[in-house]
Amino acid sequence: MTEDLQYVGRTYPVHDAAQKVTGELVYGSDIHLPGMLYAKLLLSPIPHGMVTNIDSSAAEALPGVVKVFSHLNTPADVYCRARLTPEQELCPADETLFSEHVRFVGDRVAAVVATTQAIAAAAVALIEVEYAELPALLTTEEAQRRDDLPIHPAGNVFFEHEEECGRRAQSADAVVVSSTTTTPRIHHAALEPHVCVVQPHSTGGLTVWSTSQGVYGARTVVADFLGLEYHRVRVIKAPMGGSFGGKTEFILEPVTAYMAQKTRRPVKLLLDREECMIATMCRPATASTIRTTCSPQGLLEDMEVATVLDAGAYASSTSDYAVHMCKKITKLYRLPHYHHRAQAVYTNTPVAGAMRGWGAPEIISALEIHMDRVAGELGMDPVDLRLRNLMHPFEVDPVTAMSIGDGRVRECLERGAAAFDWSARRGRDPGRGRYRRGVGVACGAHKNGMFGKFAEASNMTLKMNEDGTFELGASLHEVGCGIVTVMKVIIAEVLGVSPDLVAAGEADTSSTPFDYGTFGSRVTYVVGACAKATAEKLKEEIVTAAADLLHEPRERLTVEGGEVHVQDDGQRGVAFKDIARLSHMRHSPAITASVTYYATSNPASYSVQFAEVEVDCATGLVAVTDFLAVGDVGQAINRGMVHAQFQGAVQMGIGYALYEHMDVDEAGRSGIDGFKNYHVVNAPDMPDIQVLLVEHSGDDGPFGAKSVGEIATVPTAAAVINAVNHALGTSLSDLPATPEKILAALHPEEVGG
Amino acid sequence: MRLLLNVNGMEHELDVRPTARLIDVLRLQLGLTGVKEGCSEGECGACTVIVDDKAVNSCLVLAAQARGKKVLTVEGLAGDDGLDLLQRMFIEHGAVQCGYCTPGMLMSAKALLIVDPHPTEEAIRLALAGNLCRCTGYTTIVAAVRAASEQPAESPSAPPAGEGSAA
Repeated sequence: MTEDLQYVGRTYPVHDAAQKVTGELVYGSDIHLPGMLYAKLLLSPIPHGMVTNIDSSAAEALPGVVKVFSHLNTPADVYCRARLTPEQELCPADETLFSEHVRFVGDRVAAVVATTQAIAAAAVALIEVEYAELPALLTTEEAQRRDDLPIHPAGNVFFEHEEECGRRAQSADAVVVSSTTTTPRIHHAALEPHVCVVQPHSTGGLTVWSTSQGVYGARTVVADFLGLEYHRVRVIKAPMGGSFGGKTEFILEPVTAYMAQKTRRPVKLLLDREECMIATMCRPATASTIRTTCSPQGLLEDMEVATVLDAGAYASSTSDYAVHMCKKITKLYRLPHYHHRAQAVYTNTPVAGAMRGWGAPEIISALEIHMDRVAGELGMDPVDLRLRNLMHPFEVDPVTAMSIGDGRVRECLERGAAAFDWSARRGRDPGRGRYRRGVGVACGAHKNGMFGKFAEASNMTLKMNEDGTFELGASLHEVGCGIVTVMKVIIAEVLGVSPDLVAAGEADTSSTPFDYGTFGSRVTYVVGACAKATAEKLKEEIVTAAADLLHEPRERLTVEGGEVHVQDDGQRGVAFKDIARLSHMRHSPAITASVTYYATSNPASYSVQFAEVEVDCATGLVAVTDFLAVGDVGQAINRGMVHAQFQGAVQMGIGYALYEHMDVDEAGRSGIDGFKNYHVVNAPDMPDIQVLLVEHSGDDGPFGAKSVGEIATVPTAAAVINAVNHALGTSLSDLPATPEKILAALHPEEVGG
Repeated sequence: MRLLLNVNGMEHELDVRPTARLIDVLRLQLGLTGVKEGCSEGECGACTVIVDDKAVNSCLVLAAQARGKKVLTVEGLAGDDGLDLLQRMFIEHGAVQCGYCTPGMLMSAKALLIVDPHPTEEAIRLALAGNLCRCTGYTTIVAAVRAASEQPAESPSAPPAGEGSAA
């Protein structure tokens, strides 16, 4: 932590914490408007088929039912829910409001809009739908094989991406290691279900309350679908109860907007937990095969990777995901040659899409489980093998051709290994009894924003009020990690005033300037840098106004403690509040600054994590008994919240490693319909997570800060699996490592009879 | 049917369906939207309220079952002299992120402290076992409950932490 920082690096609550502990905050699901109607969806019970008949007469006859929607009375136009901006690439439009061709258990078939939620639900149960079933392709292997049975016209393998760099070379005595890791389809499990509220206006426009991570993207998708001019669609970011990427895409906005427009009444579509699980989106299931060649001394020479992503029934963002899975490994390790091919495949399963880490937890799990396999083949310590190959600061990632910046993965590993007492703990015998202990390590890499893909930028306006307080106009999307507070702290640091004097709120397309939103690990690094630049420009404006008031040249003025002083004259100065007040009467009615900040770098963020587990060999249950997360964060802005990001991310990663999955059975059903059969790690099962921050402010983020929220969960699952494999002497790589899989690995002779 | 319900110290005379869940009466009829619904099956605990000093999933009980009992929701935690100690500790310890689990967490913690004012860490974690949080990993929540249990009940009310602490 830099010593001369006054506010940055300390600990603050999220900006709306007081409203959250009192129950005052109105979340999206709490919104109630006069005359509001409630919508309930009817979802396909079959994984693949054609709707041949819909009889909604009984539903329509129910008192309180306003309208029933289905493919029969809605446009067949296709759109892409994941599109952030109109000209964006890799956004296949393959989804309709309601499906005639249903493609998974959970596809939208119809919806009832009624005066109460209860009536809407009762009416949905009265709709009779007939289907002509088609063969369901429930795995990527089946879908790849059955190209005679395309789920969409584009074919089942709808996207491929390849990256290759370096030159293939192999030493004579090279060691070759291959492994395949599969990662599961999982539910985001944000505690607040998905919701959207839309109010139509007699002017022809709409107001949309969206609990999404990007209101401007939502606006273009909704307005383009409805054929409305953008200025007629106002999208307000409503407070949301968590997202983790699950609300990045505009799943409910188009259908809710359409129903509101047609009924000319406000409509609220609030999903229940089962609907969230099967009918929104999941983290994509992936399979990655890695073939590594390395010298007997453990220097990597070549890595060949093949990844298959299960996109589920609609493309959503899976093609972009596939691209980004090819852009992680070379941020982590020096590789003389690297070749990665990724395929995205449609299946008749729940839709895959954005989730925390955007491909990194998937590919890093495969990579880091594989690296332990390599270490095992070479008889090397996993930490030593990694240290021989990890990237050094300011090296260039050959895939993106961009510098990794001041990336400190090596330091994370070295300091973490010392703090965790790695060598001693790894050297201990796991035991041969019922309870066996093991330790594992994994490294992870991620990014900072979208520079290299988009014109990565943000825009803000900051003004000083007449009493010397400040208001930020910015399209912030709080998802719960405290980004509003981060902006306030950055501005406070620049201006030298308490963060309590800075007001900031969330995005509203009618009043806050363009920003993509909260995703892509861009907020602290890019939006935060914009906040800093805007505050610096405002500070200049304040000095200009003070110079006028004090009749002094700007060069003689300094800013400190909420005042502008004349240098070498301790007596003369003027407080911010007086500058604001007096300037109003003089030359400048508004002390304000607007800045568009363009990112020009995209360094890597790293985390290295160490897990200790105890496995009960009788039951196959795993307890995570100790955990250290080391983060290469540049500079913590809100220190406590940075720690909390790691703690929550590790909780999610433990679930990814051991418990969570949405596998489907032969009928295409996941069998998962609530938290009763989907295990989110709870308080008694969580170890206390130790967090160690490595802070070097060598990159372009505000005060050197880098991304945290996504990288924090990237290596967790691999660290846990590697610890289990160490404890048991197994080579598990099929996530999650459930008790059944662990027992099968311990007793291979009993598997398959 | 007619139902007399005491919620947050106030008597209400309500007309409810016999099958109405307590959560729906609290949220829809009384506007107490601090009571959150996350799963509708008693697994996530976001809807936890206190009924006669016991933590209850309000999605799993009928409103009629609270007849003649005292219901406390998160809206009733703060008093005229400010926030409840638990609320202040949740803010101070960074136990609030997205905040959707927070009301339920607070009510489960409150019910614990009513019967066990100085719980062990294990007891805190067990009391919160039915409250899921996807943001925090529970560390800060457990710390907040522990801090509230360690402070004397009559400690002077401090303003919510807004200034940065050097923790």
